Amino acid sequence: MAEKTKELVKRKDQTGVSRREFMGTTAKAVAAGSMAASFPFIAKAADPLRTIGLGVSIINEIQGKAAEDLGYGVTGQALGYGAYFGKALNQNDQYDVCEGYFNDFDVFLPAKIFHPLDTHRITEWDKVSNLSKTGKLTPDSKEGDGDAPFRLLWCDADGNLIDGPSRYITALPVFHNADSLGYDRDALGRDVTSWAEMLAPDVAGAVGLTNTPQVGVIDVALAAEAAGIMTFGDKGDMTRAEIDQLMNFLIEKKKEGHFRAFWETFGQSVNLMVSGEVMIESMWSPAVTASRAEGINCIYATLDEGYRGWHSGITISAKVSGAALDRAYEYLNWWLEGWAGAFQGRMGYYHPIPENVKKYLSAAEWDYWYMGKPAAEALNDPWGNPLVEPGEVRDGGSYEDRFSNIAAWNSLMKENDYLVKRWTEFLSA
Amino acid sequence: MNDSAQFQHRGLIGDSGVPPEAEAAAKAVRRETGFPVGWLVAPSAVWLLLFLVIPLVSIIVFSFWSAEIGKLDTSVTLKNYANFFHNEGFFDSQADRFLTMGVFLKTLWNTFRYTLEVMALCLLVGYPIAYFLAMRIQTFKWQMALFLLCMVPFWTSYLIRAVAWIPMLGRRGLLNKFLVNTGIVDKPVDFLLYSEFGYTMALVQLYVVLSVGPIFFSLAKIDKTIIEAARDMGAKTYQIFWEIILPLSLPGVAIGMVFIFVMIMGEFATAVVVYGGKTSTVGTVILNYYAVADYPFAAVNAIMLMLAMMIGVVIILRLVNIRKEL
Repeated sequence: MAEKTKELVKRKDQTGVSRREFMGTTAKAVAAGSMAASFPFIAKAADPLRTIGLGVSIINEIQGKAAEDLGYGVTGQALGYGAYFGKALNQNDQYDVCEGYFNDFDVFLPAKIFHPLDTHRITEWDKVSNLSKTGKLTPDSKEGDGDAPFRLLWCDADGNLIDGPSRYITALPVFHNADSLGYDRDALGRDVTSWAEMLAPDVAGAVGLTNTPQVGVIDVALAAEAAGIMTFGDKGDMTRAEIDQLMNFLIEKKKEGHFRAFWETFGQSVNLMVSGEVMIESMWSPAVTASRAEGINCIYATLDEGYRGWHSGITISAKVSGAALDRAYEYLNWWLEGWAGAFQGRMGYYHPIPENVKKYLSAAEWDYWYMGKPAAEALNDPWGNPLVEPGEVRDGGSYEDRFSNIAAWNSLMKENDYLVKRWTEFLSA
Repeated sequence: MNDSAQFQHRGLIGDSGVPPEAEAAAKAVRRETGFPVGWLVAPSAVWLLLFLVIPLVSIIVFSFWSAEIGKLDTSVTLKNYANFFHNEGFFDSQADRFLTMGVFLKTLWNTFRYTLEVMALCLLVGYPIAYFLAMRIQTFKWQMALFLLCMVPFWTSYLIRAVAWIPMLGRRGLLNKFLVNTGIVDKPVDFLLYSEFGYTMALVQLYVVLSVGPIFFSLAKIDKTIIEAARDMGAKTYQIFWEIILPLSLPGVAIGMVFIFVMIMGEFATAVVVYGGKTSTVGTVILNYYAVADYPFAAVNAIMLMLAMMIGVVIILRLVNIRKEL
């Protein structure tokens, strides 16, 4: 290789190009040379596949394993929510794949920033569960209010939403979860089975809530409805009158000192629980696990009214074409294959083709994470750290139990601007 | 003779009445040596243009656009500004929010109010510290050593200092343990953390050094012989303070207050961590709108924040004429 470079330098020198120019050309030539030597069949595809998303899916191990399996570079960029949202929407030339979420699609789809995906190129599309296709994981499942994947999945060849099954889809549904309330069983002294517990008088001053308006509002709406304070037509798409009624109620509650704190980050929600500042709060599943690791008897409530679900949808930028488009499809197919689902599964997230994940999980892991059975042995997190002790049971039961009982999905409402305005008022009340 | 005396004053900033000839001479000298001022200024001018002027102009332009579902509408509108100043139902005499202050205006006002509180406390706490360092500590070595000690909290990250208040002020925190153990209260009190009290305490602790520094330096600059002279003439201690020390230290006070004012007006992380997100500051509002790509409305909030800051800085600098005092 060194000989080759020298030769190149010599030749360039004779042609009299500037130093900077030949440095760049040399570097590219060297890179292309080495790539061509090891993977002659993809010599043209020297640029890595660029994917963006949140920390849930952009994890070194996942993209690293994808690169290893696929034979080309995959660079992942993990962003904060605001940065991800803005980049996905406004800079679709800066990524090839966006590991996004269906609840953002009311904004993303009209902007036409993604390729409509051809299901004929998704090799295991038939095996993807009905949760995202029809909204019913099992025949008697609840569909849930709001931005359920099946309402935002099907489209025509131009990317316009249509009802029911079609050849084209807006995004590939992959990882998902059902969020609930976390509570300190010892401090509270009873089991929680309803969202209404969040508004109970005896937890006053010890309630935590996420401060993200779009997510927090659904938690409190479920609580207000369960407590019989008000009802909603569609909790995923509230009217102004509903937002007003809910916010006026919450502002009163806040003035009474009902809420202890509003958390911004995962770590804060863990802190609130561990430091004894709250007894009950909106929480993500891994935050409950982290609180338990700190010795708190924190339980992820099994709620009668159902859970608040969220679902990822992996998309390909409309700017991608040719060989890069083929690689993007390969990457999507790789996600369905199961390895990544198993990796995320050990953090508590679910995959749309459970049998593919099963291949990569031990029998004990499968029983614990998907079947809701007691852990037959000690289980580790994806990085090999001890996480679950023998005999522990995952809160909320099996995958089917959880996802047949989704009360509402994370959503972006038509009245989002008004919601954020009233939420600001609520926080500063 | 008079000339050279005046000339010695030129080291200080301000109008020292240098005779025109001397100034012209100085300029001539500069020109003769071919001092490349233009070239030296160019990099910072380019830097400021790229990273200050252009972003600032684009923020202003953005504020007149609007965010429609999925895209920016670039037709000029004032609706973002209207939304900032008034609530829905402002003009409707039947609505319960008839003629009430707009949510975002109220947020700006709250931000301003917190800032004033923190500034006042920083001054109350910071001035005595600076006074002690500058007037009571005799040797320069010890002054510097103690001043550096004040800086120790700044050696850890800002966020860690904010988070550290939780084990201090929380329900199971040190302070509550102390209060309960000494029998001052029966059960842990709530108001210490996730409250305006805790928020203000944390901000004062985080920013007080910004007032100590400049006040210390302007106090240290005071010529001790002036104080001696005053004492010889029979001035009482409080007279010396009110008539000599305080006026001479005002530039440091003003600079410190400008620092604190500007830092706290843009504050949002402490509001989330120590106030538990139970309030909105302009910073948190900007974040919320940024998160859903409503850049125009975030821009309006940013502009209003900037205007408020500018007005505040101008007021502070009007109260103390720094150019003259220095």
